[in-house]
Amino acid sequence: MPMTELFWNQHAAFPLLGTLQVLPLLTVLLLWRLGETSRVAAPLARAVALVELILAIVLYRQFDPALPGFQFAERFDLFGPFSYHAGADGVTVLFVLLGALIVFLIMLYSIVRRLPDESRLLMVVLAVEGVMMSLLTTFNLLWFALASAVELALVGYLIGRWSSAPEKDKAMRAFYQFQGVGLAMLLAGSLALGWTYHDLTGAAWSFDLFDLAGLALPAKLGAVIFFLLFYGLGVRTPIFPLHGWLPTVAQHGNVAIAPSLLLGVKIGIYALIRFVLPLTPDAAQTWAPYVAGFAMAGVFYAALLAFQQNNLRRLMAFAVISHTSLVIIGLFALDAIALQGALLLAVNFGLAATAMMLMTGFVYRRVRSTQLDKLGGLFDRIPAIGMTFFVAGLAIVGMPGTPGFDAAHLVLEAAIHRYGALPTVAAALGNVVAAGFLLWAFQRAFLASAPAERKTGVERASRMELIIAVSLVLIMLAAGFHMSPLLDLIEPPMEALAGTFHHE
Amino acid sequence: MSDVPFLSLLLLTYPVGALLIWLLPRLAAPRTLALLVHAFGLAVSLFVLGHFDSAQPGMQFAEQTAWIPSLNIHYAVGVDGISILFLPATALLFLGVTLASWNSARNLSRLYHSLLLLQAGATLGVFCATDTILFFLFWELSLVPFYFLVSLWGVGPHRGYAATKYTLVMFAGGVPLLFGFLLLAFNHADFSGAAMPGGLSFDLQTLLGMPLPAELEWAVFLLLLLGFAVKTPVFPLHTWLPLLSMEGPVAVVALLTGLKLGAYGLIRFAVPLAPEAAQSLHWLLAGLGTFGVLYGAVTALAQTNLRAMLAYASLSHVGLVLLGIASFNVQGIQGAVLQLLNFTLIAGGLFLITAFIQQRIGSTDTLSLGGAAKTMPLAASFFAFFGLASFGIPGTSGFPAELLILVSAVQTHTGAGLAALFGMVLGAAYFLNLYRRAFFGPARNASVLAATDLQARELALVLVFAAVVLAVGLYPQPLLDVIRPAAEAWVGRLG
Repeated sequence: MPMTELFWNQHAAFPLLGTLQVLPLLTVLLLWRLGETSRVAAPLARAVALVELILAIVLYRQFDPALPGFQFAERFDLFGPFSYHAGADGVTVLFVLLGALIVFLIMLYSIVRRLPDESRLLMVVLAVEGVMMSLLTTFNLLWFALASAVELALVGYLIGRWSSAPEKDKAMRAFYQFQGVGLAMLLAGSLALGWTYHDLTGAAWSFDLFDLAGLALPAKLGAVIFFLLFYGLGVRTPIFPLHGWLPTVAQHGNVAIAPSLLLGVKIGIYALIRFVLPLTPDAAQTWAPYVAGFAMAGVFYAALLAFQQNNLRRLMAFAVISHTSLVIIGLFALDAIALQGALLLAVNFGLAATAMMLMTGFVYRRVRSTQLDKLGGLFDRIPAIGMTFFVAGLAIVGMPGTPGFDAAHLVLEAAIHRYGALPTVAAALGNVVAAGFLLWAFQRAFLASAPAERKTGVERASRMELIIAVSLVLIMLAAGFHMSPLLDLIEPPMEALAGTFHHE
Repeated sequence: MSDVPFLSLLLLTYPVGALLIWLLPRLAAPRTLALLVHAFGLAVSLFVLGHFDSAQPGMQFAEQTAWIPSLNIHYAVGVDGISILFLPATALLFLGVTLASWNSARNLSRLYHSLLLLQAGATLGVFCATDTILFFLFWELSLVPFYFLVSLWGVGPHRGYAATKYTLVMFAGGVPLLFGFLLLAFNHADFSGAAMPGGLSFDLQTLLGMPLPAELEWAVFLLLLLGFAVKTPVFPLHTWLPLLSMEGPVAVVALLTGLKLGAYGLIRFAVPLAPEAAQSLHWLLAGLGTFGVLYGAVTALAQTNLRAMLAYASLSHVGLVLLGIASFNVQGIQGAVLQLLNFTLIAGGLFLITAFIQQRIGSTDTLSLGGAAKTMPLAASFFAFFGLASFGIPGTSGFPAELLILVSAVQTHTGAGLAALFGMVLGAAYFLNLYRRAFFGPARNASVLAATDLQARELALVLVFAAVVLAVGLYPQPLLDVIRPAAEAWVGRLG
């Protein structure tokens, strides 16, 4: 895959990507200086999240999908191989847009939820946004690994600090244990690649994507590095069977904000496309059937477990594991159409999962529980919130008219060619199973009659809740009915990536 | 004439109407606004019918715009003689359902009427789409409003289960459909030799003209048959229909028995796209049809509830449509299309009257009805009229449809045709038996004694349906003329 880049000063007035990363971090510093009791803290944090969203839109408007290679590139030498090198292709733009949107929605959500220590919460969210932008734009693998560590540490803090469950320590512990192992693997894989570069070329160590991409890795070493990186990213994504932390964290951790940050923007999938597939193409191709096999099992395993759940949040955790497996099936078909489909699926699932989690947060605010037998009787009182949850569910099962359909359609098309008809039909039926547990959960959470012990009426949706719900639905429907701009964005880079794999 | 996109206007009317209900809450009551939108939709569809050139076999009012260019998916709509008549029939049925639920949908009535409008738009889209993916879009979209209508306004205690079952069964049925369409698109890419994404085609007209290898053709036909059979429904995939007719809101169930989208899909897509396989499997179609006729009739005999009886009756009658398709001749297809229209008018009419009875008595079981003719003579007589029409009494629209089907079936599948004829006799038996128990005899139930007969609004609605049934029954020629060229083209494609 030929690597080319256009520097920012060739087509932009200021370093856009750098601003996206630095602005939230500087704001966090400023807020720190102002102190937690400052009255401007929360409005300022929300304003900066809005500015980030606007910057992301500016990036999208100024980005030219017709140009090959990366754009808006920035490079700055730091300590030898650990250098700042960032840039954007269509995939980056798509994920940056999604990330900025989700963070902004979280900011609005926090107005409704009124969690304790609000300004500290918003500082953590902004810090995560800055680091996330860095993860999405960097070309340096070591930078990516270290920034991952920072991001996950921040999210882990959020999970435990803003949860009212008695088992919140359990959630935090499970999160740090799993992510710690994953990060160690990721770091080991990165270091191994940096060292191999030095070993094979005789030059200094390098973690730069541009240097590493052309490297002819020996087969065995390639497999080891692929395994390390895949494992490392698989934990955070999460990919079956590395998902053990998610159900616990979802059930006992922070209700909506932390899961939206983690699962809304699927950094793991992004990094598989940005780093793993281009850096270890041969190993990826060799191991693709096994990865796809595990993913196929994951679709059904998680779907079946989802049916067993009595807690809405735990159920959604298994839903996420199930649909992430579908993304992996698409990715490892290693075909231009399937890659596009998988990426769109990841974005769609992220957006839909965020919508579901925010709506669950609104429900939790009223009922103080996400146990399904304590819910019910909600639709009459909060139809807009229920409807948004439902539309997000439809997006997850690939209903036409949502982005899920076009994405699943692309994945299925390629999968028929790659794996044959039967496994593909099985994967499609996995979607029907997902429809089953989501509809059933919706039925129990919103439509079933209210439990007898609930005496007071459920509060109607506030204006801000309506704004969040309606805008989520509109975004999903707009992307569903008008997918072409998104496809235009990711088609060229995915064609190029697929070109590195040889199908017989 | 052709520069105004009438079909898009028709399809847009309903979602825009649904939006208006939410955006302009002070303009009018939701039900009034909904009624106006449905009336406008009916007017547009009648206008389209009025300007339809019945001499032409091809698609008219056709529109095409790129939708997802990189995959060659288009927004493509058009109507021919087979589909055109469904537009006014569908619009009329939805208008009827809106009127029938005038007073019954009090809870969340804005939501109820906007869902009904969306359902109408999606259903009309199914009849207009000429791109397989667009068709699939409308096909699946029509599930969503239904799920809510049944879950929230259903009359049975298990309405949540019924709604979930229906939606899941339909989702599962969508999988073979999508795969069938994908196989066709792949075959087009292979056949034209173009690269994968660009060579795909989902355009019905293009796909019709494309040669298909034999095994692939069998696979496509079986996949599409499976997908459409679930929706039609064909025995043994029918179990959702009686469940839903007992649990769902009665007026809304009229849409299910009145609109046989699955059978339409068979005529529009499954048979023409895989003609050889369809003809080789004529015995399967005829067999499923005949079995459905008999099974539905026998099961209907055993019912004590009007709604369950009507559900099984519709299963029995749709068997005839399959039989008509299996004859693969012009009369058979004309009869099949006409019979599908009858569902809208007759089964729809029956269910609307049932909805009126349910509203008054709170039940449609013969146990609580008995003697209803005394207090509701008009409802009872119209119920009898539509019932007689449903098994094809001369002078009603059921007669030409069933005659055409039976005549062509006796020619092509003599045994099946005779068996279906016997099924019709059984039909008279179950209907008259249940009718006697529900409407005659001494009235015991207090709510039956207190019931009022059809009100002006209800009577007007029923009269419109009855008038159309009579008009088509006495003078079916204009409709047959509209269907004929397209039916001839349809048969001609079978070679």
